[in-house]
Formats: sequence, C-alpha cells, structure tokens
Amino acid sequence: MAGNVTSHGGATALSNVEDVAKIAKEEQVDLGLTREQRAVREAFAALFGKQATPQRVRRAELTGFDQLLWRHYAEIGALGIGVPSDCGGADGGLLELALVAEEAGGRLAPIPVAETAAAARLLGRLREKELLGPVLTGSVIVSLATRPGPVSQQMLVDGAIADAVLALDGESVVYVTRPDGLPKTARRNLGGLPLAPWYHPGATTVLAEGSEARTAFDAAVDEVRVLRAAALVGLASAAVGIGSRYALVREAFGQPIGMYQAVAHPFADAVTALDGAQLLVYKACWAMDSAQDDAAALAAMAFAFAAETSYHATTHSLHVHGGYGFMEEYDIQLYYRRAKAWAAAFADPRRELLTVADRLFGPVTTGGR
Amino acid sequence: MDFTEPANWTRIRREAKEFVAAHVTRDVIENERRTGDGVDRALTRKLGERGWIASGWPVAEGGAGLDPFETAALWDALRKGGVPTAGPGTTMLPANAIRATGSEELKARVLPGVAAGEVLICLGYTEPAGGSDVFACATRSQRDGDEWIINGQKIFTTFAHLADYCFLLTRSQPGSAGPRGLTMLLVPLDSPGVEIQAVHTMGHERTNIVFYNDVRVADANRVGEAHEGFAVMRAALEAEQNVAPGSRTAWVANDALEFARTHQGPDGTKLINDTLVRERLARMAMEGEVADLLDLRVALLDTKGDRPGPVSALFGPESYVRASAAAIDIAGTAGMLDWTDPQSAVDGSLEAHYRSAVATTIYGGSSEVLRSLIVENRLGFPRSRPRR
Repeated sequence: MAGNVTSHGGATALSNVEDVAKIAKEEQVDLGLTREQRAVREAFAALFGKQATPQRVRRAELTGFDQLLWRHYAEIGALGIGVPSDCGGADGGLLELALVAEEAGGRLAPIPVAETAAAARLLGRLREKELLGPVLTGSVIVSLATRPGPVSQQMLVDGAIADAVLALDGESVVYVTRPDGLPKTARRNLGGLPLAPWYHPGATTVLAEGSEARTAFDAAVDEVRVLRAAALVGLASAAVGIGSRYALVREAFGQPIGMYQAVAHPFADAVTALDGAQLLVYKACWAMDSAQDDAAALAAMAFAFAAETSYHATTHSLHVHGGYGFMEEYDIQLYYRRAKAWAAAFADPRRELLTVADRLFGPVTTGGR
Repeated sequence: MDFTEPANWTRIRREAKEFVAAHVTRDVIENERRTGDGVDRALTRKLGERGWIASGWPVAEGGAGLDPFETAALWDALRKGGVPTAGPGTTMLPANAIRATGSEELKARVLPGVAAGEVLICLGYTEPAGGSDVFACATRSQRDGDEWIINGQKIFTTFAHLADYCFLLTRSQPGSAGPRGLTMLLVPLDSPGVEIQAVHTMGHERTNIVFYNDVRVADANRVGEAHEGFAVMRAALEAEQNVAPGSRTAWVANDALEFARTHQGPDGTKLINDTLVRERLARMAMEGEVADLLDLRVALLDTKGDRPGPVSALFGPESYVRASAAAIDIAGTAGMLDWTDPQSAVDGSLEAHYRSAVATTIYGGSSEVLRSLIVENRLGFPRSRPRR
C-alpha cells in the first residue's frame, strides 16, 4: 500500500490509508470464531468424543453423572473457563462456555455443564475466591437453583451430585450446602439427569444482598438459558447426523429412504432451524458479554428456539429409524429423551416465550386474561 | 464474534431514510398499492443519480461502490420506506450477468443506462409449465444470419409492461433438454411480435404473461456464448444469492406489535396484555431475529465462499408466512380491512402482509426445491429430482 503513495503529501496520505483500513476492519461484523475459540471447541470435542461414548452415557443413565469424565473435564480446565483470572480462572466469555456446552450436548456428556458454569461465574462476579478454589479443581460441585423460591421446594437439576447450590432468597444470593447424609441418588427420570430435591438443605450463607445481588443472579440464570440452548443445539445437530446417516443406508421399496422427500425435507427444516438456533446462541453470548440492551431478550429467545428446534429435530431423527428408533440399543432414543428433558428441566419453552415478551414489550400493565 | 451494526450500515440506512422522506410521497406509495407495478420510473432515476441502482458497482461505472452489506442495508431501508424495489432490484440480476459475461459492446450499450436508473430489465425464465424447474425451457430461439428468431411464452414476468428489455432464457438447440442447448438473449420489449398480458395477483402485485411470436433479436444482444446459456444463468442465479433477501418476518412482527398495543380484544383487555397474544408476538419476534441472523450470515459467508445451502431463503419466507397468518388471527376483523378503508389499522399492513407472504415461499425457488438443495448440500443426500 505504501508503494502507491506518491511523494505528494506522502506521510499524511499513508496515515489516512491506514486509518481507513483500520476503520474498515473495526466495522466488520464478525460471526467467526477466533483461533483460541476454535481450539476450545476442538479440545472439548476430543475430550467428549473419547470419554462420553454411548456406553458411558448409558452407564450413567441412573446416576446422571460420570465421575471419571468429570475429573477429566476439571483437569482440562473447563470449570475455570468463564471465571475471571484474578479468581483463578481463564477470563473466557460466555461464548467459550457455549462452545463447550455445544460439544457436551453433541455427546450427551453425563456431567453438569450449564448450571455449574453459571454458578462459577456468579461466584467470580461476587469475588468469592475462597469458595471458587475447590470448584475450579472439580472437587466441589456448585450448581444453581434456577427457580424462584426456597431451595427446599425445588427439584434441583444437579441435586443428586451437587455439594452446594447458589440460590436467590428474596434479594439475597445464598450459598446452600448439601443436606447432611443425603445419598447421591438421582430420581429416575426421562433425561438421565441427576435430579434430586433437597427437602432439608444444609447450611445457608448469604453471599450478597440488594438489587445488585439480584441482578447478578438473574444474569446467571440467563447464562443457564444460553448454555442449555447451546447444549440442545449440539444435541440436536448430532441427532440429525445420526438420523440422516441412517436414512441414507436404510432402504425401503428398493431405494434409500432418504430419497423420499417426505423423509428428507424435515431434515432440511432441522438443519435450517439449527443454524438459526446456533446463531441466536452466539448472538446472545455476545450481547450478554457486551451488555447490550437486548441481551436478556436474546437469552430467552435462544432457549425457547433451541428447545423447540431440538425437539423437532430429534423427533424426526428418531422417526426415520422406524421401529428401531424405539429400541434401547439404538442411540437415537438417548437423544430424543434428552432433547425434551434438558429443556423442560429448566422451563416450559412456551412459557419462556412469555419471558421473551416481558423483555421485549415490557410487563403486562393491567390484569392479563 | 461481533454483532455490532457497523457505522457504515447505520449511515447508509440513514441516507436511505432521508431519501425516502424527501421523495417517497404518499402518492408514490398509494400508486404502487393500486398498480402493483413494482417500479416507479421517476423514483428509479433519482436512485440512479445517487449511484444506488447498481450500488455495488464502482462509482466510475455509475454505482456507489457499496459492499454487499451496505447494499443490503440500503435496499432493505428503501423497501421498508415504500420505494417499489421489484423493478430496480430485479434489473440488477441480469445486469450483473451482462457485466460478467456480456460482450464489451453490449455492456457499453446497456449498463450505463441501468446504473442511471433509465433502463429496466425483467427476467424471462419461468414458463407456464416450468415453475421452479427453470431448465424445462421450451421457448425456442433460432439463429437467422445476424439475428435470432424467438417463439414461445413466459409467465410471471414481473414489470415486463414497464421494462425496456427481457433477459430471456431460450432453447436454441432443438431436441436438447435440461440445462444444455440454452441461449440467453436480451430482448427489447418494443420488438414486433412481443405481446404482454397483465396477470393480477392476490398480493396486488401485477405480473405478466409475455408471448414471443417470431420476435427478431440482433445477435449483438446475446449474453454469453450461444447454447451455453446455463453458465450465464448460473452467474445470474449466484448473483441473486448475493442479494441478501431481507426477511420481512420482523417487519410483520413489528406491525402486529403496534396493532396489539393500540387495540383491545373481545373481552375489552388491551391485546398487548393478553397472554395468548404475547406468546405469538414473542414467537414472531424470535423468528424475525432468526431470519435476520440467517440473512446476515449469507452476506458474510459470500465473501468466504462457504456454502451453507439456501437456509436463509427457506426460513425467511416460511417464517414470514407463519407470522402474517398469526397477525390476522390476533387482529381479527380490524386487521383484515384493506388500507383504503378509513378504519384500517396500521395502514392496512396486516392484510397486505397476509396477501403477499405466501408468494415469497415460491418465487425465489419453492420451499420444496430449497429443502432438497439443503439436504444435498449439508447432509450429502442424493438428488431426488430426476436428472435429464
């Protein structure tokens, strides 16, 4: 570029050229991952590919937890990704965590990803370095009680395995420890989740109070929305891969069933909606990390859209298997069950649309219906 | 990753809004609604003066040197402001193909007028029996000295009645089939033997059937090589994919929201406070966001050469149809009044959206064709359409 600059006011012209180039670069919308983000994705794809095999997923169906995978997950540094460096973390954003959740979802990894990541970030925001120490090594599992109201009245998504949960009690963020002597037994459930209630929670410590505490907790719940959405995107993408590959080898009436458009076209809708769901997740991550006005609305949209998309995508992916899809031996049923359970364990997706409405249109001003 | 709207997009959108405020009068809007012409020639010339018709071309060629994103932002804002964009927008597809594959003489003769907003070119692909299968072309062209003689019929030739040329797909090799043996000709529409018949549509857009009876066209108006029209078509179709479509889902979502904020339901409650309405408005907004994100990615991927398949072209129109239907459900009789009625709500836009939306799942390639392309591109499915 410098070679094109004549001696006629050369220096000024050069700096202008550079300025223009700089502005052009800054103005570029960028939907790509950085090299570091791609490395995060690849590292976790490798980990889950090796450790979250269908056999291991099946083995963890009743406990909702694979202890060995959790150890590897902690060793690779997963638990500190989204935590500030002065609290011992890696200063990553929500997007990095979403990439991890997507890969975990793709392999149905039987470890708690979303609520634990959001809880770790909340502890980081509250500067709870001491509490974070054992969390980052994986020796203490701290999850999030996402429903409003007392912990004792919630079915906790990680209740069977968590050592503590963060909850909102009025205007206070509290740290609630696991009930003494509660066995690590999950309630048998649709999604192989470590579900358990804590009817008699252990010690409760107030970590923060006031509206700022509430705001921080609400942000953590929104992060769960986004991370659950990311996990569902990964789950459903993998299911579409399984279903579409099956449709290409299974023959009926003399040709692969994928040749029939009634079989093929719902996969096109699934691929399309999954692209959209993934972009919504990414945009919500960006919006939350850069404090955009519509961040909260995008988080709820990402959850609602990923939830319904993953349900439809896994339904078709199972359906094309015919009767085989119903058999325990086929992996697709693992995906189909979790597509519904992973979403509904957080919230009714249609109710989440009302959350979107509150955030976009403002709350209902007078009595509704 | 960064979703911030760049300052240059905001700027071009603002300029488009200023243009709309200055030139798009209520008369312009109502005239388009009455005629469905898809083009206002005086307004098109004013756009040409700014280099906005061929906005992506260099200034030296009469364009404005905008990048694909700026172009998309510009046309989106112009369309939402009420500029009839079907004519000038469509003109650019053949214009880009001519620019890429036409002879120097043809380019010099036609393109400056295009950029100036003086010359309009319509598309003559679709035939009565063809539909989305554009290569089922039966319109014949026969070489005769320095001329071609054309016989056949095209349908859905939008704004043919106002255009200067038709970019015509013809079968030049008798007995050929499918994408082989085709020739693209730029046919002056004032040629003897051209007969244009109006077709009025549910969406109030006027389109046309065009008959070609022994129409003679100079060989100088051939675009690309004879019998190699497929390559030219492909260039034009790819250019079509470069025009970010600009989903209207978020548009109808906003119109429905405005309606809900200003109207009451049968029980006297404000619609915006009704749970059933809120859920549907939220869904419209969510799908509008998804459609916009998929469009945005199309624009960005073009520069990298990735091929995500036409997912944006599928989702945008499909979600627009869903949203336009939900809007009528929410609004009831108040939403179905035509804009000419003094009591129509939101300027009759809900009724208009519902009339227009369904065509969008057809005219850029029907949703079924797009779904086939998506599973082929993305999942490696075999082609299910018969080969010729």
